Amino acid sequence: MLSKAAGGRPAKPSFVSYVSPEEIHIREPAGKEVNPYLLPGELLLCEASTVFKYVQEDGSNRGTYGKLVCTNFKVAFLGYESASDDNEPQFKNKVIGESDITLHCIDQIYGVYDEKKKSLYGQLKKYPEKLIIYSKDFRVFHFCLRCTKEEEVKRIVSGIVHHSQTPKLLKRLFLFSYASAAPNSPDAKNRTVMFDTFKDWHEELERTKGNVKYEVVSVNEGYRVSEKLPLYFVVPKSFLKSVTESILVHQGRGIPIWCWSCHNGAALLKMSAFPKEQDDSALQMPKLLDGIYKTIHAPPYEVLKMDDLSSSLPSLQDIQTAYTRFKQLFLIDNSIHFWDTDVKWFSLLESTNWLEIIRRCLKKSVEVVEQLERQTTNVLLIEENASDLCCVISSLVQVMMDSYCRTKFGFQSLIQKEWVIGGHSFLDRCNHLRKSDKEEAPVFLLFLDCVWQLVQQYPPAFEFTETYLTVLSDSLYIPIFSTFFFNSQHQKDTIVSGESHNAQSSPFRLLTVWDWSVQFEPKAQALLNNPLYAEKPKPDKSQRKTTRFKHHRQLSLPLTQTKSSPKRGFFREETDHLIKNILGKRISKLINSSEELHSNFREFYDSWHCKPVDFHGLLLPHIEGPEIKVWTQRYLRWIPEAQLLGGGTVAIATKFLDVMEEVQKLQKQMDEEHSQTAPEDADAVPTLRNSARLSSLFPFALLQRHSLKPVLPTSTWKDLEDEEDLAKRDDEFVELSGAD
Amino acid sequence: MLPTAKSSFKVRQQEPGAGQPRGPKFSSANAKRNRPCQAFPGIPGEFVLEAAPGVRRSLGASLRFDSILGTLFCTNRRVAFVPDVPPGAKAHPRCSFLHSEYDVALPCIGKLVAASSVSKAKVLTASSSLKFVPEELVLYCRDFRVLHFRFPESGLEPGAFRVTMAIARAQESDRDVAAWSDPTQLRNLENAQRSPEEEEDPAPTLLFESLQDWEQELRRLGPAGWRVSVANERFDMATSLPRYLWVPSQLLDNELKRAFAHFNQRRIPRLCWRHPGGSDLLRAASFHAASDPEKEDTRAVEALLLAGHARCVVVDTVADLPSPTEIQLAHVRLRTLCLPDPAVADEKWLSALEGTRWLDHVRACVRKASDVAVLLAERRCSVVLQESDDRDLNCLVASLVQLLADPHARTQLGFQNLVQREWVAAGHPFAQRLNLCRDGDRGEAPVFQLFLDCTWQLLRQFPAAFAFAEAYLLALHDSSYVPFFSTFLFSCQWERSRRGQHRAFGQLYTPVNGWRDAPNLKILPQASCSAPAGGGACLPSIWTWALHYSAQQRAQFQNTVYTRASDGHTAPPGCSKLKATLSETGAVFLLARGALAPQPHLFPWKNGSLVKKGPWRVPSSDSLSDQQGWPSSYPALLGEVLVPACVGPAIQLWRRCYLRGSPERQHGLFPPTLSGLTEELELLQECLNDGHWRAAAPPSPAESEEAGSPLSPSR
Repeated sequence: MLSKAAGGRPAKPSFVSYVSPEEIHIREPAGKEVNPYLLPGELLLCEASTVFKYVQEDGSNRGTYGKLVCTNFKVAFLGYESASDDNEPQFKNKVIGESDITLHCIDQIYGVYDEKKKSLYGQLKKYPEKLIIYSKDFRVFHFCLRCTKEEEVKRIVSGIVHHSQTPKLLKRLFLFSYASAAPNSPDAKNRTVMFDTFKDWHEELERTKGNVKYEVVSVNEGYRVSEKLPLYFVVPKSFLKSVTESILVHQGRGIPIWCWSCHNGAALLKMSAFPKEQDDSALQMPKLLDGIYKTIHAPPYEVLKMDDLSSSLPSLQDIQTAYTRFKQLFLIDNSIHFWDTDVKWFSLLESTNWLEIIRRCLKKSVEVVEQLERQTTNVLLIEENASDLCCVISSLVQVMMDSYCRTKFGFQSLIQKEWVIGGHSFLDRCNHLRKSDKEEAPVFLLFLDCVWQLVQQYPPAFEFTETYLTVLSDSLYIPIFSTFFFNSQHQKDTIVSGESHNAQSSPFRLLTVWDWSVQFEPKAQALLNNPLYAEKPKPDKSQRKTTRFKHHRQLSLPLTQTKSSPKRGFFREETDHLIKNILGKRISKLINSSEELHSNFREFYDSWHCKPVDFHGLLLPHIEGPEIKVWTQRYLRWIPEAQLLGGGTVAIATKFLDVMEEVQKLQKQMDEEHSQTAPEDADAVPTLRNSARLSSLFPFALLQRHSLKPVLPTSTWKDLEDEEDLAKRDDEFVELSGAD
Repeated sequence: MLPTAKSSFKVRQQEPGAGQPRGPKFSSANAKRNRPCQAFPGIPGEFVLEAAPGVRRSLGASLRFDSILGTLFCTNRRVAFVPDVPPGAKAHPRCSFLHSEYDVALPCIGKLVAASSVSKAKVLTASSSLKFVPEELVLYCRDFRVLHFRFPESGLEPGAFRVTMAIARAQESDRDVAAWSDPTQLRNLENAQRSPEEEEDPAPTLLFESLQDWEQELRRLGPAGWRVSVANERFDMATSLPRYLWVPSQLLDNELKRAFAHFNQRRIPRLCWRHPGGSDLLRAASFHAASDPEKEDTRAVEALLLAGHARCVVVDTVADLPSPTEIQLAHVRLRTLCLPDPAVADEKWLSALEGTRWLDHVRACVRKASDVAVLLAERRCSVVLQESDDRDLNCLVASLVQLLADPHARTQLGFQNLVQREWVAAGHPFAQRLNLCRDGDRGEAPVFQLFLDCTWQLLRQFPAAFAFAEAYLLALHDSSYVPFFSTFLFSCQWERSRRGQHRAFGQLYTPVNGWRDAPNLKILPQASCSAPAGGGACLPSIWTWALHYSAQQRAQFQNTVYTRASDGHTAPPGCSKLKATLSETGAVFLLARGALAPQPHLFPWKNGSLVKKGPWRVPSSDSLSDQQGWPSSYPALLGEVLVPACVGPAIQLWRRCYLRGSPERQHGLFPPTLSGLTEELELLQECLNDGHWRAAAPPSPAESEEAGSPLSPSR
């Protein structure tokens, strides 16, 4: 009866360790009380018992019974039968369990009513018999509520829908209840530069040798200039003195803010464009801008080129649409859907346009790199708020050009600099508060995906692995870290200071995502590091760089001269025109005629790819059609059909780790022999070896325990077995027992 | 037994007679033609037709790319480019056979395009006349390489013109690939090649031309219940079948002979492989249309199909897989797509790739093979692959199944044995499919290349399971287009031996005319090409890699990530018993479109009549491993099977093979990282050992550990 309703299919006996819907009356969960593990500050909001969770929606009814709970942090499923210990996953998140979904991670909720799937939102009149939750990290959960008591169903469904879908106040974020309840752990020494102090910026300037022409300013202390701008930022020297008053009027718009300096002195700058409506102040604008360009266009600064990203890159709306479509390819209800899509997989993939957007971002970044590296021009990225695509492009350029950004801490510092402090509106773009869908756009994910392309093209150049990127993308939805839950530094500072006043307890401290020990044990953390990353020996660095650089200079010097001199004049004459365009937000291919840009780009790109790769030097991605790929680990990790037992890149990684371990051991022995001392600090090397056949989805393989997916769906075997004459059974018996 | 009789059947020494008319003629032609080109190290029997010095070979179409200066040769065998050695640099000892990225065998040239700034590019054939002096020559090779040669701008235009025309004519005229080289001297050269490094070949590749090869391989599989039949030794039962067949041991040869007539091309079911769990994989052609089970005695056929099992699953290979024509079509489209100057924009690349349907075909093959492999592991039954003539996709599926299920097939030797057995000996019509002779394009279909692509997919998905690396597959892929090796020249063993025999005798009597088309093959059987041939000659087998790949290149064939499979792979006791008798009829199932269906009649079904078009995988809630009452089969053994993923994102383009033509797209060909690590390991170990030596320390536990470690690099 139950199973008939479940899909018209005859009920199948379940997998060995699970119970089928029929057996529920026999196996009453009485006495087996399961309690959710709650974080500090986490409150249980509602729960429902005897919920049936399908193991994987492959069309079978296999699953397990348990309790479904909803807290102010997550939705969690607690099985009555605890998984046996040997199945303990090696890569376990300490905060989020295997069947936990944080409220912010819930993407869509569907209810099934009489075989019909309906999206659930708002006030519900009727409660579904099956609940399907799609999460933003691409898991799909199917819960059957038929055996659950009616009032519990009501409570849990409306609870989940309410807490995950309705708009929230910023102050109600779990972040704050966690921070006030959690014991204040001593602040671990973190090498990630947070860029919230004057010193951090200053050091960054020194590191990139940009301190000759640029300086850190503190005009925005107390957020006097702008709430969008960080407390400290870097501008061309003596720039602010000339134009301070007008800057104040425009709330920081029109200030070219330094991002990064190239080794040849060229700098990458970003600027938020002026809003479309300019009334009275519009008159001062030309004068102001003229001042700006006079300052930074003239020596000692390099020639300035502007790039309006809103005209050369897809809009946020496009990005959001593409991602929504792309995502849908991987959020599959069951495997049968997947079979249908393989034949047209590539065209489906292409029609989402997501990979094309990645390609365009990478291409744009290569263009900027070309201007910085070869033409030695300053590049000014312009965008409305300078906090979306500006972040993507400037970060990508730095990842490509600055090998420091390819180390783990360098990368984290980069995200901190360009995104967190740089004012990317994480709260709006991720729609954490569920306030409006219009602002939502996966810009940060786009950036991570672009970095992934680089990582998979040049694995030895990066200190971190793709697993690191995947985990980082997941952390976007874990509301115990402050990193990705504010729109700006200002917003965070004001709310934190407000909370601290209220709490009046010990200093209120929010966790940062860069403290990976909150989420992972050291053993699991080791999987985030690339064993093949070869650190660059320090003394070698400067030497090689200069020679390489010289070579480049020689190559590009005549080119630069011939090309830049006419441009200077051009630029000057056209300033008025240019300014009009900025005001009208219609900058397009003004500075660079597109053909010239294209040929420059091609030449640069091709000549770079003809040379052997220096993993510590400039790194350009391949951007041709076949080279932009799907981030398999992130998007396919929960899909059983994509899983390979004993295969995938994990198999190579395992081997690598083995060899590495061996090398390290031998090196240690060598050291011991020389020094006769025995240092006993064993590095945490993940022991992948103890499980003989890992799944290709390894760190995430949820399905490891199910020995093998069914390959041949046949009812015929069994039926025929039954029909087969009894005379054969003896034979059969002998045969099988013999085989065991 | 018979082989000994055969071996006395060797060709009488006809070589001098064959060699005579050629040698002087060519050497004189050679001598008077090109004085400066004598430096060209040719294969014996090869002579230079035309040469143009000062040619630049560039990596891409435009001047942007770096180029190499050298001399372009057109010989009667190939187009070769010899880079100039800069004065002072040590001259590269260049071996004439070595596979080189600069050389193209003439049959491998797909398209020849001459371009000039004054005229538009022109595709050249033998009959076409060139009206301009080419400035650039582009060779589109059938193995997906693209070679660009740029001629010097001044002074040597006639040379450019001449060499271009020579190539255009040569590529057309070189039809008889079997006459590719003079075997006698090849033999010497081969020996010369091999002697310095003294092959480390303890177990040569089995060519499956002799009885002991078949027996040796059957011993490896576990011979119980099977024997080698010599029924077809004289090819009188079936011409396209190999000499020796594996058949159930209880079936006598005279019973067996009755079965031949029931199958297309008389290709009866015979064993391919035995699963250690007791299942058997067989392959057969479809039932002959004229055979009628009602009237005739089909017991022999039944016994062959059931092979001693109670159940037999017939796998209709054709059902879900592309036909050779479709494969060829997809391959042509793929080649067009992968040209270096793509007409396809980057953003349309993926759908264009899908449009070729090549990956679809790859997917279908991999999926079918994995279904069969799992079936073999899960059940005790006989699985019969059935294709209408059992010569194309059966080869592919049978070998893929073995790659998935048999760890031995994933070693280099095992793989070579596999190709030799399931393709070469089993009679895949290579001559027609590869079409190296260019006699009509009708039968051309890269079925073997499709197999290599499938193998690459498996290698990519299971990098640690294969002892060979991508470079090996690439080498095999490229070598299949070089008609220098006997392996892929013939369509079956019978043709191989017949041609050898025929030509040999023909030559004895008509030595003058004979030379042109005589392959001078040594008459079979021959245990192995590497065996001392006693003056006899033959084209080398492709497996003598030392002949055409340098030691350095061959070192890359090894997969450094390979983890040897645990060798607990012996047959469980008791499963070797064959209980079914000849008269017993068993149940027959049909596997098609991913589902098993019972077959009411054992036999026969006509070609294709049972295939109904439908959706690929029938949605079904239950599965083999899922059923209660059916004791879970052999989970341990199932664990040994590689189960590949066939979903859309899992099947990828073999870019190192297909995208080689585009300079922008080739990068990091064989990342040396792991080998670098291994080297470091070696170095450290040596250092450590040295240290021990000097310190005269007793062997530490570390050393013994090293010895036992599977990772200690093999030397």
